[in-house]
This record gives sequence, structure tokens and C-alpha cells, in this order.
Amino acid sequence: MKHLRLPLILVVLVALALLPLYGTDTMVQFGISTLLLAVLAQGWNIIGGYTGYPSFGNSVFYGLGAYGVGIAMVQWQLPFAVGMAFGVVLAVAFALLLGIPVLRLKGHYFAIATLALAQIMAAIVSNVPLAGENIGLVLPPLNNDPFFYEMSLVLLVLATLTIWWLTRSRFGFGLIAIRENEEGAVVMGVDTTRYKVLAFALAGIFSALAGGIHAYWITFLDPESAFDITLNVKMIIMAVFGGPGTILGPIVGSFILSAISELLSSEVTSIAGLFFGIVIVVAVVLMPRGLADVMRRFRRTGWHYFIENIRMHRI
Amino acid sequence: MDLLLQVLVNGILQGGLYAIVALGLALVWGVLNIVNLAHGAFIMLGAYISWYTFHWWGLDPFLGLPLTAVVMFVLGYAIQRGLLNLIVRAPMFNTLLITFGLEVVLTYLAQLVFSADFRTINPVYSGHNTTVFGITIPLVRLAACVVAILLTLVMWYFLLHTRLGRAIRATAQNLSAARLYGVEPRHLYAVTFGLGLALAGAAGGLYGTVSQINPYIGATLTAKSFAIAIIGGLDTPLGVIVGGLILGLIESLTTLYVGPTYADVASFGVLILVLIIRPTGILGRTA
Repeated sequence: MKHLRLPLILVVLVALALLPLYGTDTMVQFGISTLLLAVLAQGWNIIGGYTGYPSFGNSVFYGLGAYGVGIAMVQWQLPFAVGMAFGVVLAVAFALLLGIPVLRLKGHYFAIATLALAQIMAAIVSNVPLAGENIGLVLPPLNNDPFFYEMSLVLLVLATLTIWWLTRSRFGFGLIAIRENEEGAVVMGVDTTRYKVLAFALAGIFSALAGGIHAYWITFLDPESAFDITLNVKMIIMAVFGGPGTILGPIVGSFILSAISELLSSEVTSIAGLFFGIVIVVAVVLMPRGLADVMRRFRRTGWHYFIENIRMHRI
Repeated sequence: MDLLLQVLVNGILQGGLYAIVALGLALVWGVLNIVNLAHGAFIMLGAYISWYTFHWWGLDPFLGLPLTAVVMFVLGYAIQRGLLNLIVRAPMFNTLLITFGLEVVLTYLAQLVFSADFRTINPVYSGHNTTVFGITIPLVRLAACVVAILLTLVMWYFLLHTRLGRAIRATAQNLSAARLYGVEPRHLYAVTFGLGLALAGAAGGLYGTVSQINPYIGATLTAKSFAIAIIGGLDTPLGVIVGGLILGLIESLTTLYVGPTYADVASFGVLILVLIIRPTGILGRTA
């Protein structure tokens, strides 16, 4: 089974890359939004899954990336690539400036501080003239969905390769040590502050690039949609459903949940939102370590797996 | 000068209401170590229960508060007993996530059942004002503030001086020791969460008399509740009064001097500052 994994991944990757050739327009559009969500889930995976700092504010990076592209292209008439770079600069600056104080907080406090940051960004940006205040920015249109699709796919591959590198590098082991026992990591000589800030910035870079692609694709952005807080719900549940702290789990989670939610929202829009909520509740109770862990252990334990999870955590 | 005084009074009235908005969250957080991200959504639910009892039966919103609180208590007891008790020993992140899921479920259910229309609870006396030294005080806001502060004080007394309150505090301090003294944690956890929701329900009923309600008010109220709980600290229920008043004053002063769009920025900015400088709260003990 193990030696089949790499060829299987390559086959899936080729099939995904060729989708614009055989898929319909709707499929390509659905593909773009799914791939971008998967990138966000992978970004969250770095800080939440591997480092153990459950950020509820990664949507800020996404919004900064979107505004980087928007400001560069609309206000300064610069090419898209420069806009993406500008978005990355904004995200890294944010991660460094606010990451250093906020990453000192632990547990609930970190989660709440990031949630609060996510809540105020829209209000701040809607007062910045350069960002078009609360009217927003209209980008020059580019009707080339296959281009956006392939770019999103490349970004997802890059994010996944980065995480694969994390699982076998000194830096990645440092992050896992922080997740498992931060004091212990300090004792072992891990510069925890630097590692955490770098992980936060790395998550921010990928989220910002996803935001930049999305902004150019949609050709319009305003504070409310760029800094959409519900994006955090989506990226976290996708990563957690698939398996936080695994290389492929968040991708599998995003693909499955996006597909189901797309099917549901073709019926009634609010049903899809309700579905996400129910998935979160059920997944936390029955499979708190995600699909990846179910796959690993289900064959041995069968249905007892779910009962065991409840037995371990209830009073 | 009059304008400043008026704004200060508005801030204090709002702050009193904020105290009870945050009290349920602080109680559940302090005792169960669960940060209930669905807290604001439960306030929203309480506001709708209040709205329906007012519009269907013509029940005065203030007299209807006990009914709302009882309904919410039963709901909270059931949720803790049937769902949250299953994961209380899981890592902190799981409890955050599950209440996050509950928030999403409640918001979308509310949207389906109640529709997204804005509603207000407006009894006949809702437009009445009184003027003291040139400062206008809306009666409903004053009543909501007074009831909120009273309920917070009652809660404080209950936790300090009743048998059940002592059992709750004992559980918060040391679960195994409390167990040895005959406290049944499953039941007690459920009672605590039920109380948290009862307070959220009462807060919702009061909130509905002074502000508009719709299915989406929850998220902001949760965030404000955090800010209040953190600013005031979790050690005593009186902390939420301090936190609520500070938040109310910050918001009204920012609205006057900087602009209404910055009110939330200021309050959450203060939250982040307090978190970084003094995570145990202004009244809290230092670690």
C-alpha cells in the first residue's frame, strides 16, 4: 500500500492539472474555489496543525493578499505578479508585527486574540483611502479561468511540498516539539518565539497568495468579503476534518467538504452553512484527529474507534 | 461639556448591559474551562424567545425574562449533558471547535426559522425618556442596565454563599477533590452550563429591548463578551461589571471623538492590549 501512494498522488495530480481540458466551465470554477480553500486549510495546518496554535484569524492574511493585488493593480497600475509580491509583504509584515506579541499567548487566549484581529481588520481597511474605503476596488478583468485554475493548483502543490519539507526538517521538528510541549522545546534549545513567528508568517504567505489569486479572479474586492470571518470556519473545519498535522489530510478534507457543500447549496444556500456546523460538532465528538487518523486505525478497531474516542474524553 | 456627560451616561448604560452579556461566558469559562464560542448565538436565541413571547402573548419583555431564562437553562443543561460532557477531557481546542460548530448551526437555524429580518421588542414605554440635569436618559436602557447589574450581583451572591454555588466553585478549583466531597460532576457541569445559557437568555431579552435583533448578532456579541471577560478577569463575577463599563465607555467615547466605524476597532484593540499586557484581567490575580 505504502509504495503505491506516490504514483497514486501523481495520477490524481495529473488528472487535476488536465481538468480544464475535459471539464465544464462550472467544474473549473468550482475547482478554483476548492483549490484556494485547500491552500487556506494547508496554511492553517502549518500554524494550527503542526505548531499547535489554533489561529482563528488566518482570514486576515487572505484579505491582505487580496488587497495587495487590488492596490497594486488598481491604484498603482502594476502587473499582477507585483501585486502578489506586495500582498506577501503585507502578510509577512502583519505576521511579524502582531505575531510576536500574540504568539506569546497560549490556548484560549491565542485563539481569542486572533479572532479579535480578524474582526477589526474589515473596519480598519474600510477607512483607508488607498484601499478604496468601504466601496472597494474593481480590478481589470481577465476572463481566463484555466489560468486561475492552474495557478491555484501550483500554489496548493507548493504549500503541500512545504509541509512535506516540514515533516523532515529541523524547523518542522521544532514546530512539532512546540505543539507537544513548549517548555520542553525551549529546554531542548528550540528558539520558540522565532519558530512560531516563522510558522505564522509561512501560513500567512500561502493564505495571502490564495487571497491575491481570488481577488484577481473575482475582479472585485471590498472589506467585508476580503476579510470574511466565516473563511476561518471553513479552513479550520477542512483541516481538522481531514487531519490536522498531516501532509495530505487538509487537502482531502477540503475536497470532500467543498464537494458536499456545493451539492447542498445548489438546493438551499443556508443548508450548506448548517451542514458545516453539524460536521464540526459531529467530527469533534467522533473523530477529533480527523479522517487521516480514522484511516490509520479503523481497520484494526472497526466501529469501536468512534466509541473509544467518546470514552476517552467524556466524564 | 453636556455632550461629553451625555456620552458618558450612554456608555455607562450600555456597559451595565454588557456586564450581563458577558456573565454567562465568564461563568462557563471559569468553571468548565470551556470558552463558549456560541455564547453570542445563545444570546440571539434568548432575544428571539423574548420577542416571540412579547409578540404572541403580549408578555412584557422584563416580566418575560424569567421564562426566557428557564427555557435557556433547560436547553443548556441538555446540551452539556448530552454533548459537551462527551468531550470535556479533550484538548482545549476541541471545546473551542465544537462550540464554534454550535454557533454556526444556531445562526443558520435562526436564519431558516426566524428569517433574516431585523426585529425589535418595543413595549409601549419604549420611547419614554427622563431628563436629569440636561442629560437624557432613555427609560428602557436604564431599566435594562439596572436589571443587568442586579442579576450580576445576584449571581455573585449565589456563587459565594449558597451550597450549589460553593459546589460550582469547588469544581472549578479542583475537580477530583470536589468529587471526593460528593459533587456529581456530570450534573454540576450541566447545571453550570445551563446557568450560563440562562444568563445569556436574560441578556438576549434585555438586548432586544434596546437594540435590533437578527440571526447574525451572535458573533459580535461573543467577541465583546470575551473582551469584557478578559478586561474584567474571570476570578469574580464582579469583574464583568468593571469590564462591561470599561467597554461601554470606550465604545461611546470612540464614537464621539473618532467615529462610529472605529468603535469596534477600539474595543477589540483594547482587548488585544489587555491580553498582551495583563492576561489575567484588570481585577485578576497575577500568575
